[in-house]
Amino acid sequence: MVLAGFAGMVDSGYVGFHSLTGLLIPCGPAGGCDQVLNSAYSHWGGVSIAWFGFIFYLAVTAAGIFGLSGFRQVLRFSLIASLAAFLVTLYLLYLQAFVLQAFCDYCLISALLVFVILGAHLALRPRNRTPESA
Amino acid sequence: MPKASSSQKQRSGSRDKTRGRKKPSIAKPLAVLAAVVVVALGAAFYLQRSANDQAPSTPAASSHNTHSPISPEGWSKGNSLAKAVLVEFVDFQCGACAAASSRVANIARKHGAELKVVFKHQPMQRAHGNAMIAAQAAEAAGLQFKFWEMHDLLLQRQHEWAKVPDAQSLFLRYAAELRLNLARFRRDLWSAEVRNRINRDIMEGQMAQVRSVPAFFLNGKPIPNSRDEFEFEQRIVDGIRSLQ
Repeated sequence: MVLAGFAGMVDSGYVGFHSLTGLLIPCGPAGGCDQVLNSAYSHWGGVSIAWFGFIFYLAVTAAGIFGLSGFRQVLRFSLIASLAAFLVTLYLLYLQAFVLQAFCDYCLISALLVFVILGAHLALRPRNRTPESA
Repeated sequence: MPKASSSQKQRSGSRDKTRGRKKPSIAKPLAVLAAVVVVALGAAFYLQRSANDQAPSTPAASSHNTHSPISPEGWSKGNSLAKAVLVEFVDFQCGACAAASSRVANIARKHGAELKVVFKHQPMQRAHGNAMIAAQAAEAAGLQFKFWEMHDLLLQRQHEWAKVPDAQSLFLRYAAELRLNLARFRRDLWSAEVRNRINRDIMEGQMAQVRSVPAFFLNGKPIPNSRDEFEFEQRIVDGIRSLQ
């Protein structure tokens, strides 16, 4: 979870810094980065959504590190955040597939990381209870 | 009853264990988190910077005057051999740019023999969501020798595409109106060549400290924009005379 959060911070930070420079971003095999990242859906309130993603990954990384250090209750909050991020990710994937008809590699990486983070939360959940009941 | 009392004992026993357990410290995870965030931001910033550095520089970019970051290369109007060069940095989605473009066109028409007008892209993406794709459309049309035609269409019909979520379909319609090869236009719109041309202009604008659009430079020196066409023209005429 911490690793996925770290990767997410690098990914979203990269896109975020690019949005600040105003330069076009280099794009990989998906080829639709500019189309997606310069679309009307790419900013919320004038702020690139990459920075909102960065805040989410920061929160997840923080929850992971604090969870490993014994503050297990924070994982409950990051689970809620991950569920919200999952829904936002589905919406963004829908926009890419059906509205913009273009995919951005950085967004796909981010979507994958959100799935991994949510999966990790769900997988870790029963184990969180085990030490309490033992 | 005995059962209940034994469970009470168990509960109080576990409470004792909890009390005995060392409370985790907040300082260590906080320090680790701070380090992880710094490394992540550093990596993102480094990757972004190295991606910029990889953007190819062209002879046009490298051969320009060392005293001014503004090169006289780009889409141009007027006399290409003229000593006086007016460079304009434009965002296709900015209202002031659309207004200024007609003033510049009039001046280019009147003083075309002694003036070269050079166009540079400066899309303000944070404020204008469709500015970048509009710049791409103009460049893609330019690859089929219709830059100025697309330039005029984009500025004249700014209200039509500025706020739409899917500007690309409108630009394809404009391309059809200009009788461009649509398959090629669609391909060029997102091509690396177009991307590099626009990036080069943006970087040039950043080096010249262009903070707002439209921005004008006469012979490498910034000149203020004016809504008064006569006043603006006078500044340019003065610039042309100073070179004679």
